[in-house]
Amino acid sequence: MHLEMKNIVMDFGRQVRAVDDVTLTVDSGEIVGLLGENGAGKSTMMNVLAGVYSPTSGEIFIDGEKVVMKDVRTADRHGIRFIHQELNLCNDLRVYENMFLGNEIKKSSVFLNKTEMLDKCNEVFRRMNVDINPETVVGELSAANKQLVEIGKALLFKSELIIMDEPSTALATHEIENLFNIMRQLKTEGVSFIYISHKMPELFEICDVYYVMRDGKLIGHGLFKDINEEQITEMMIGHHLEDKEFANHEYNATDKVVLKADHISGGVLEDLSFELHEGEILAVTGLQGSGKDDLADILFGVISHSGKLEINGKEMPHKASVSSVKRYLRTGTSMVPRMRKERGIHNDLSVQDNLSMGYLNTRFDKLFINAKEENERFERQRAALSIKVGNKKNVITSLSGGNQQKVILGKWLESDAKILLFDNPTQGIDVGTKFEIYHLILNLAKQGKAIIVFSAEFPEIFKVADSCIVLYHGKESIRLDRDNLTEKNVMYYSTGSNLEGIANG
Amino acid sequence: MDKTKKLDGKTILSKIFGEYSYVLSFVVLCILGRVFNGKFFTWNNITNLFVQGSMIGIIAMGMTMVICAGLIDISVGSQVAFIGGLGILVLNATGSVIVMLLFCIACGCILGMINGLLVTKGGMPPMVATLAMMSACRAVINYYGAGGPFTVRKDLFDSFRQIAVGNIVIGSIKIPYLMIIFIVFVIIFDIVMKKTAFGKHVLAVGSNEKSARLSGINVDLVKIMTYVITGAMCGIASLMYASRMTAVASASAAMSWEMDAIAGVAIGGTSMTGGRGKIAGTFLGVLMFKIINNILTAANISSYLNGAISAAIIVIAVLIQNFQNRKQA
Repeated sequence: MHLEMKNIVMDFGRQVRAVDDVTLTVDSGEIVGLLGENGAGKSTMMNVLAGVYSPTSGEIFIDGEKVVMKDVRTADRHGIRFIHQELNLCNDLRVYENMFLGNEIKKSSVFLNKTEMLDKCNEVFRRMNVDINPETVVGELSAANKQLVEIGKALLFKSELIIMDEPSTALATHEIENLFNIMRQLKTEGVSFIYISHKMPELFEICDVYYVMRDGKLIGHGLFKDINEEQITEMMIGHHLEDKEFANHEYNATDKVVLKADHISGGVLEDLSFELHEGEILAVTGLQGSGKDDLADILFGVISHSGKLEINGKEMPHKASVSSVKRYLRTGTSMVPRMRKERGIHNDLSVQDNLSMGYLNTRFDKLFINAKEENERFERQRAALSIKVGNKKNVITSLSGGNQQKVILGKWLESDAKILLFDNPTQGIDVGTKFEIYHLILNLAKQGKAIIVFSAEFPEIFKVADSCIVLYHGKESIRLDRDNLTEKNVMYYSTGSNLEGIANG
Repeated sequence: MDKTKKLDGKTILSKIFGEYSYVLSFVVLCILGRVFNGKFFTWNNITNLFVQGSMIGIIAMGMTMVICAGLIDISVGSQVAFIGGLGILVLNATGSVIVMLLFCIACGCILGMINGLLVTKGGMPPMVATLAMMSACRAVINYYGAGGPFTVRKDLFDSFRQIAVGNIVIGSIKIPYLMIIFIVFVIIFDIVMKKTAFGKHVLAVGSNEKSARLSGINVDLVKIMTYVITGAMCGIASLMYASRMTAVASASAAMSWEMDAIAGVAIGGTSMTGGRGKIAGTFLGVLMFKIINNILTAANISSYLNGAISAAIIVIAVLIQNFQNRKQA
């Protein structure tokens, strides 16, 4: 199909113009990469296309014919599928029930035809080359598999245009490769895609055409083969970003050991030993299920561990309990958790209250909160982290993802933490803010904080880390120092190629 | 630091219809009250409203905390009957109101603690745990009272009744004790919710339990405390009730108070899923109920219709809130 969205304008209320006169075309069998920082208007634009919002002005043409996207069903009828960033699955239902939700296959138009639904699901998963049992309850699946179920759902029905909003965030490298293979195959069948992502290498690999948006406006479009990463980043953020500023890595580690892990195990993690020094930045990486997430949780007392873990010379209790996180906090450990929305923010609370939470739980020992001191703490962190906030009394969800993350970081800086754990710190954050956060991490190390960054993104690790532990199936695969820290090495060791002697994928 | 806050007409209006819609409802009800009851704004009528609202009012303060923490407690009415019945036995045995008060508070704390432990350590849904507590309390007190009332000893009758009917007299105005107790608790709860770390923790737990845990908050302890505080409020309310009635009828005392308390919280703008709540809202919410009663009596409408009209008020109030939330989203 040939899609044309012409001069789309979308206003929210009287003040906010989320999309400002944007025209976008997609040809049959074309993969369009839609780029822009958070809040640039990408999602709004896609929601207009999917019939979620009706635009203030502008028209949509499909194959030259004007279409009014009244609702999601209209979009459905035209074969437009939207795979949302937030997973829209019912956790208590089984995989096949989710995939056919609202479009169930029936016997004699009353009873569900389970066999046929299972067959169709299996067929789709075979095509996608993934191993998911359609009878599993969705709640038991990993985040990556949930994402794959969402994608499978779009493939189950005849689709002409599939919109993917950051589908790869939860996927491991080989799963992304798999997804791309499916996309390439569908492309030859004439299916088009609009692909939204923050990950440049992916976009350059899979997309034909780019559209860059900024502040609701279309900044530019063209072919990916005519442009490079640097140019496109510049279009997105509106100024030049120097990647090279991270090239001269500074080491700030001292001899003082602040954290010592001696043969610790817990979750899927097995028998890991390492030391962390004041001022050091250690990265931990690995694929889904490598034990990376579990290590982060162990070091903050969220899950139990065995073996010996010493923080500032004190041995930490093995068992995780309702009060163990507080014990870890008292030793000066803090964590910026992964999955900010589920584990980081309190979305009903104001920006200021979210930031106060760290101080109130660690250093606060009075009966009544002093509004003035509270204010001072907030203003201090706002200035130090350059948090962009209108009214600090507004709920935290009124901020962009990057600013939310800064608030969470600020909350721990106010608790005076000496050891900072960053678990996937730039998830769903736009490029400009990502770089700011890298600088913050480097600066914190310079001030003598000991830092562990848990991340699956190599460019991120390379920008900040002194050295990097690569995990594979719960065990340390290798510890790479900076001289050996290359994308190829990380890939090689995180797929366990060194241990099993087989090349993966 | 908030000197930049601009209050143009539009923001005030949107606040009145949104966040503070309960204030608007309150004002409308007061006007209706004046229309139907010429004596509505007399001091006598106003203190009456406060006295009538005081018992459910202080329970609703605890309930606001429970609901802010993302929980619910439907056992409060039965708790009042249970504690009140036993409290009268204690009073009759000792002759001391102080002992009775201490007993009532302790008993409420224990019941609340059991609720809290069932929910946190037992992993039971709050609705189920407190439903069990509701049946158990009512059944046990019915058994002890054989369905009949617990009555205060004749010789203590007059002095004990002073708690409910007594006043502090300042010049020409009389302020009932119950009204003072109510207002004092409103102020205490408002301060706790706004000015203490515990208050913030309650909201944090109700808003996002996982984040709260990762912020080092002892989530279980916070939840248990909200139930214990509510239990303590039930204890104090049961003493007020016993004094007012000078008897606690085991089968019918404080019947369906849980509904009135929860409704007061709901009308007051507290989010039923936790994370957001206002003590001031609950305060007005509880008073609104009593105003409706007042209007119905003055307008000569059968009090049997109270429930239906209360229901209409709740539905309208919560619908306005939902509508506002949707507009924000």
